[in-house]
Amino acid sequence: MVGREITIGQYMAGETALHRLDPRLKVVAVVTGTVVVFLYNSGWDLLAFSALLLVILVAARLPLLPMLKSLRSVWVIVLITALLQFFLTPGTVIARLGFLTISDTGLFNGVLFSSRIIVLVILLAALTMTTAPLKLADGLESLMRPLAHLKVPVARVTTVVSITLMFIPNILEQSRKVTRAQMARGADFESLNLLRRVKDIVPVLVPLFVKVFHDSEDLAMAMDARAYAGGEHRTRLYPLRIGAAETCLTVAFMALAVGIIFVL
Amino acid sequence: MERNIGTEDILLSDLSFNYPGQSSPALDGVNLRFERGKFQAVLGRNGSGKSTLARCLNALLVPSAGKVVSCGLDTSLAENSLEIRKNLAMVFQNPDTQMVGTTVEEEVAFGPENLGLPQTDIRRRVDGALAMAGISELAKRQPLRLSQGQKQLVAIAGALAMEPAFLVSDESTSMLDHRSRSRILDLFLGLTKNGVGIIHVTHFLEEAALADTVAVLDGGRLAAEGTPAEVLCEPLRVRAMGMDPLPVTVVAGELARLGHPHPGPVLTVRELLSWLSA
Amino acid sequence: MAERLNLEAVSYSYPLPGREEAPALVDVDLDVEPGEVLCVAGPNGSGKSTLAQVCAGLLSPGSGSIRYAGEDVEGRAGLRELRRRVGLLFQSPEDQIFADTVERDIAFGPRNHGLSGAGLKERVREAAAMAGLPLDEILEKSPFLLSEGEKRRVALAGVLALNPEVLLLDEPFIGLDFEGRQHLSSSLERYRDERGASIMIVTHDLSHAWPLIDRFAIISEGRLHCVEDRAGMVSGGTGLAELGMQLPQWGILAGELLERGVPLDDPADPGCLAAAMASYREARHGR
Repeated sequence: MVGREITIGQYMAGETALHRLDPRLKVVAVVTGTVVVFLYNSGWDLLAFSALLLVILVAARLPLLPMLKSLRSVWVIVLITALLQFFLTPGTVIARLGFLTISDTGLFNGVLFSSRIIVLVILLAALTMTTAPLKLADGLESLMRPLAHLKVPVARVTTVVSITLMFIPNILEQSRKVTRAQMARGADFESLNLLRRVKDIVPVLVPLFVKVFHDSEDLAMAMDARAYAGGEHRTRLYPLRIGAAETCLTVAFMALAVGIIFVL
Repeated sequence: MERNIGTEDILLSDLSFNYPGQSSPALDGVNLRFERGKFQAVLGRNGSGKSTLARCLNALLVPSAGKVVSCGLDTSLAENSLEIRKNLAMVFQNPDTQMVGTTVEEEVAFGPENLGLPQTDIRRRVDGALAMAGISELAKRQPLRLSQGQKQLVAIAGALAMEPAFLVSDESTSMLDHRSRSRILDLFLGLTKNGVGIIHVTHFLEEAALADTVAVLDGGRLAAEGTPAEVLCEPLRVRAMGMDPLPVTVVAGELARLGHPHPGPVLTVRELLSWLSA
Repeated sequence: MAERLNLEAVSYSYPLPGREEAPALVDVDLDVEPGEVLCVAGPNGSGKSTLAQVCAGLLSPGSGSIRYAGEDVEGRAGLRELRRRVGLLFQSPEDQIFADTVERDIAFGPRNHGLSGAGLKERVREAAAMAGLPLDEILEKSPFLLSEGEKRRVALAGVLALNPEVLLLDEPFIGLDFEGRQHLSSSLERYRDERGASIMIVTHDLSHAWPLIDRFAIISEGRLHCVEDRAGMVSGGTGLAELGMQLPQWGILAGELLERGVPLDDPADPGCLAAAMASYREARHGR
């Protein structure tokens, strides 16, 4: 456990086509993708969508290994979802495990639901891995700008989102440091005693939170010192510009994703 | 580099500051003046109030009593903050907690973007600031992957992109190694030749020895002020202000005791060695 | 009493997102002799913090071997055992302070090692005293409300409470003013003298704790450049300038004097330097 990198869809700098795609298009595409994934109700739908996704990721030459690593963080949820569905969904019984029964609907649902989670994780990872936090915030802000007419503090919200995203590597690094510092004082993060491991989380969480609070105060001060005033009137070194080709490709992706519902 | 037009100095009149919940004031009746084109050091031990003073200069903190007038603007008035921060840029101690950008050039662009400048202006300022800090080749790199020294240079470039009259360094060298520190001090000295006023808060006396003027804070009060030769040459006086005197001043003091007083003030090894060969 | 800690051909690389790795230590051979104070010095990014963590059993070397008290440190069990005997104080007290009282924070370490009751209380008090904390007032306070200097002492006490045979400190002097540095140096000296411990100080600044240090190991870009004692460091030839480091002022002065053939008993003592300079000048001018 010690010294291993945890990547949960962390931003990775690069020059792939997906990196260069306008963040607004990416966000819209991901939102569409998320919605349709929940609307798919057959295995074929999901499979077709996964294939579509895979084609895009490979064509964009995105390294697949880090994305698979993102799945490592959610395997527990996937497993629990699958098992709950297996054992708790009523239907024709196809297997028994002691006093537990697995129904056919349960099996189907279990695989479907957990597959949904997997696909969504990969979709989101594709977004966060190829979109720098500040660009993502810019994109979200631009998309939400119409809401400003309804007095929603769009610029402030997106700054909060982007800074939170930016703090992720910071938090990971700090948690590594704190874990090691407490290990040096005899804390055991490899113990098989679950109670022990739970108890030892507090000495990691407290310094982590304290550090994050202090760091965010420092950051706020630095931003103030550089005349940050809420983001409403900010201009950009690299303003967002959407090209025709990008728009067409994104629309095509969304159309295909939606079309799968009706065709399959 | 264009200059923001404003009065040429920063004036502290009877500046006092209390942090809420603390019994003793962090700053107590400080009177000081900072000028453009000069390298001015603010020294003091931990808790002497030097960082507090730095933050009063650009209205991050507002005086509890007394006044700070930065380039003609009273820092206690909220409507002045934006203008003050155009004239007075600041870099902080921790290289990691002042970065916001994904790439170095976007990081440096953050300030000008906040000013709502047109894109061509931002481009010009970013390129200029990177060149001045000597890090143009780092423009597309990710700030978080750079060394600590490089990160501070990026922070300084970010400050320079505001085209400020003054640059305040709040212990910006204290987490760096010798090589990075030298590079930054050289940069500061070069900037003063361009008319920028440098206010460098530090606890390193060797750095203060390079300044045009030194102000020493102790317990929130101004304990000494003057040229480095006037303020730093007396080991006993320096110790009384809670700091570790420069070794050459201690050796010079010992030499004087042995009957070999040095003709002038000694602050550097070279000065002491030249006496040896004289 | 400390034993010998020995690193042989140790290398370590940090895994990065994707497939890259960042090498931090390359082929390092190092001995920490029992009872000595060793300074591992190098510019930022040279690998010194990594070295400290490897020595403390927190990171497992990618290649090479570690031996303590003549025995190889192997596997999880070996690292765990090493961690029991080697203590590491991290640079920032905020990396480890977590409890609601100072006493409970210092007690964390020894409690993890199985101490409890009166023995634990005693150990905490000893460690707090060794670290220079005022026992009467401070043990019941929240560590988060203390000054920076006091927090550092609490963190130090927290590590001293483990009675490490080898005490490692990662950049303990950064941000400390003169008074703070004096305090820390005397605490370390006391710990070494009273417990026979070895001490390893990782730093980029060569002026700290000079009189306390027996040997210097200079590290740069993950490789060990050289190992020298105090006299060796001062007499130059260690190529510090190319590595981006610099001796403290009196070290430079002492080096210059030694080059001119002036003998020095203690290059760190201003009186000695002054006397040497005076006699050199007198000899030259026949005054």
